[in-house]
Amino acid sequence: MALRPIAPLPAGARQKLVLQREISRLLSPLAIPIMGIALRCVLGYRIENLRGFRREYRRICLERDGPLIICANHLTMIDSCVIAWALGSPWWYFRHFRTLPWNLPERSIFAATRYRRMAIYALKCLPVERGGNRAEITEVLSRLAHAVSNHEVALIFPEAGRSRTGRVDLNSAASGVGRIYRCVPNCRVVCVYLRGDHQDGYSGMPVRGERFRGSVSVIEPKTNYRGLRASRDIARKIAQRLVEMEQEYFDDRK
Amino acid sequence: MDQTEIFERVVKILNPYVKNQEAFKGISLATHILDDLKVNSARLVDVVLEFEDAFDIEIDDDDVDKVETVGNAVELIEAKIG
Repeated sequence: MALRPIAPLPAGARQKLVLQREISRLLSPLAIPIMGIALRCVLGYRIENLRGFRREYRRICLERDGPLIICANHLTMIDSCVIAWALGSPWWYFRHFRTLPWNLPERSIFAATRYRRMAIYALKCLPVERGGNRAEITEVLSRLAHAVSNHEVALIFPEAGRSRTGRVDLNSAASGVGRIYRCVPNCRVVCVYLRGDHQDGYSGMPVRGERFRGSVSVIEPKTNYRGLRASRDIARKIAQRLVEMEQEYFDDRK
Repeated sequence: MDQTEIFERVVKILNPYVKNQEAFKGISLATHILDDLKVNSARLVDVVLEFEDAFDIEIDDDDVDKVETVGNAVELIEAKIG
């Protein structure tokens, strides 16, 4: 598979990225436990087989020191928090800070106020306006690709937005994740399917006391295509894996 | 293939993706594909892939970022056809 060269990141953007990572690392002993407490104690969320999730992510991270992209289904506004919580304990993230995933939250929601901006900055988020200025989106994707190429972990929702049908939609797979994947040699994709028992469709927040179930798997998608078609094909293969995991989820619940 | 012919084929390809039919009626080289025609940004990739098939060209990821207006698309295709 032909790799596409990563676009050089301007020195200023590179420094901003490093600065954010270091500030985030300094704040992580506070920010990560607060996030966990909020999810577990305030909202009452539970994850079935939490230990199994974390064991598998640990195994994937330690198996090979290479770039990782986490791709997940997307049903609620706080999926990225729930996924980060499911995949690692605060202690794990302190010791392996690179494995706390970078996120691309929607700017109009998550960066609407100064406090939210501070919170998402501390949790390795690069806000982006979906469907917004293309040059700006490309710049954010370049920053994320740069982080991944430096063996930081990124979390991307292949469908870009929340699944409007409540199921993973292959046709909604955007090419962005494929673009990043093709920039980074030896990259692996960690597919995460996570869904609350009461989650019939997409929503803002999962219900209080929600119990999440799901699975984790690793793929290294390949394509024979070139150019944009290759990026699209990679994104579809990732989404296809999520569709299969979704089917397994519903089969298990029968 | 001249610019007019490329434009006509581009318009035909865009048609099924357009949500704002009013803007589509007055389509020109200056028409913005996302803002005016309200084509879904995720669907823009499908549109560009259809350009590839229709004109037998290969378009790279970075080229897609340059396609904002119908004129940008026509110019890109013209350049690729050579």
